[in-house]
Amino acid sequence: MAGRTPQKTAPKSGPPIGLVYLAAWLVPGLGHLWLGRREKGVVFFVALCAMFAIGLALDGRLFPFVWSEPLVALAAVADVAAGLPYLLAWLAGAGVGTPAAVSYEYGNTFLITAGLLNALVVIDAHDVARGRK
Amino acid sequence: MVESHFFLMVLFSTLVGVVGGMLLKDTRKDQVRAAGVIVAWLVGAAVVAGWVLRVFPL
Repeated sequence: MAGRTPQKTAPKSGPPIGLVYLAAWLVPGLGHLWLGRREKGVVFFVALCAMFAIGLALDGRLFPFVWSEPLVALAAVADVAAGLPYLLAWLAGAGVGTPAAVSYEYGNTFLITAGLLNALVVIDAHDVARGRK
Repeated sequence: MVESHFFLMVLFSTLVGVVGGMLLKDTRKDQVRAAGVIVAWLVGAAVVAGWVLRVFPL
């Protein structure tokens, strides 16, 4: 149709979208690296892993899934969204949290935000994989 | 560990700004500009909120 702006189309062959999701969630930035966005992938990896590590160093807590306390459960979902850093910290027994520490709330904020930003990165990887960006 | 509230706020804002800028824009110049705007808004809003809460404490 005349005057219609050309749309970016999805690449004909590429990695399976489900695997891109999984990779992007597990390792922050890996989805972008896989899709050829090397610079973005490296920046996401460094920034989000640093954010998660700083959150742990600031005595932040990895929240448990307590469904009777919705805000705690939501924080747990946000923590899990960080992917492999969360799993490694959980397996290592880190992220117990020290509520008496001055930086406890900062630590929680860093941890939760790292997970939420990784969720946005996964969505961005989806757009890249679909050829929308 | 660092206990400076302002330093931690700036560090947090910088990391969020870097990721946000990379997510929102595709060229280096636009990414830097977007990151700067995000950092400025986060830090500026926190400082303003801090002064407002000093005058009108909860």
